Amino acid sequence: MCASTAIPGTTLGAIRRIRSSSGAATGQLARQRPAPPVAWTEAEAIRLAQAGNAAAFEFLYQLHSRRVYALCLRMVGNPADAEDLMQEAFLQLYRKIGTFRGESAFSTWLHRMTVNVVLMRLRKKSLPTDSLEETIEPDAESSAPKRDVGAPDLRLSGAVDRVNLERSIEKLPPGYRTVFVLHDVQGYEHNEIADIMGCSVGNSKSQLHKARTRLRELLQEEVREQAREERKAAKTQSGSLD
Amino acid sequence: MQCKDIENVLESEGLGTLSAEAREHLAECSSCQGLLADFHSIVAVAQTLPAEIEPPARVWVSLRAQLEAEGLIKEPVEAPEPAPWWESLRLLFQPRALATATAGLLLVAGTLYFTHRPLNTTPVVNTQPAVQPSPPQQASVSAPQPAVPAASAPATVTEVAHTPAAKSHGTKGLASSPTENLSAPLAPAEGSSPDMQLAGDASVDASFRQNLRTLNQFIAECQRRLKQNPQDDLAREYLNMAYQQKADLLAAMMENGRSEH
Repeated sequence: MCASTAIPGTTLGAIRRIRSSSGAATGQLARQRPAPPVAWTEAEAIRLAQAGNAAAFEFLYQLHSRRVYALCLRMVGNPADAEDLMQEAFLQLYRKIGTFRGESAFSTWLHRMTVNVVLMRLRKKSLPTDSLEETIEPDAESSAPKRDVGAPDLRLSGAVDRVNLERSIEKLPPGYRTVFVLHDVQGYEHNEIADIMGCSVGNSKSQLHKARTRLRELLQEEVREQAREERKAAKTQSGSLD
Repeated sequence: MQCKDIENVLESEGLGTLSAEAREHLAECSSCQGLLADFHSIVAVAQTLPAEIEPPARVWVSLRAQLEAEGLIKEPVEAPEPAPWWESLRLLFQPRALATATAGLLLVAGTLYFTHRPLNTTPVVNTQPAVQPSPPQQASVSAPQPAVPAASAPATVTEVAHTPAAKSHGTKGLASSPTENLSAPLAPAEGSSPDMQLAGDASVDASFRQNLRTLNQFIAECQRRLKQNPQDDLAREYLNMAYQQKADLLAAMMENGRSEH
């Protein structure tokens, strides 16, 4: 694993994403509860939160909670656990906010904490499938899904939809899942993911490729299973007609 | 380039622009074409999944409680409750109270002026209402009835204003009667107010009229509130007070020499 470093591009990208999403969040929240002062920048809110300002805590929460919740939900697949994990991540963030010096983007810092909290929880659950080390360490290539070169391919084109993709994402090992969700769903770049996960950019790319390859296999299994079910149903129907 | 090399290229370069060598292999290899097409399908669907999901509000409530319990929030700032509607009414009422007090002072001043004025200089005032006072005064004050058009309504306040006892009774009646009945007795007097002739100072007259307009706006607001929620006791109380003030104001206007035409 690599040490986390400040990457200027990362910061700009993260801020751009936050800004583009915060407008919608403000509108929705304004209907639910008094909106925090919109004139604050994230940096101002961080400074105020470091002084223990409650409104600043809430401002930062409103700014990032939707993205963090989406990540937690995809990682654990269960709303109750996702809420619990998100609360834990924000709590850790606020406990340590006094030490935040802005070396990396605030959102990267928050996502790093979130990923750590989630992975720790999943580790405690001791999943019977791939271990986390296998999927996060750079030398985990031996456990990577292998393509059976030369075997007849089942094309997924047109067969992938949101439902079977979500279901397949849930079956991914946590490390693959994290990188896939961060990159392909949430739109983070590899340097940001490397910063969040504390690994190299190359490792992030490798994890993503393996995640996609594994997803392809899972989806192909789903499509085959679906085709089998359809054949069985058709046979049953023709048998009953005879 | 072999199929294995394509895998390596896809791993290190992603799904972006591929080298000429890789493209050349892809053109001839259906297996690698399928791999790339499937990756594109997966990524395309993944990008349609929501990157943000609104968490339940209870998470922040719980988190905030935890932050307070741990002493991380050093300056608890309660989220401002939306001000109850009666606060805005109270604010609205303050200038009206001032205006009413002004009207009261003017009334006293006017009374003093008229009581100390020689009788032969008193202007001839037509104290008869413009409409026929056919219905009994009591009924017009207390009996439930819808708002009556000014042209046909009893001139209750006009009549009441002529006798101090009756005026006093009328005012009390206004304060204690159901609010639904109060607009009717005041309507004729108010209806004639634009035609009242100036007997004293122009600024005093303008002030009376301004106060009347302000009171009418307030009454309309109270009525709207009551229409929305008939059980709103505070609105009812404010409406009673407003009617009482309006009655006093109209009486003051008439007592100060403004007559109907």
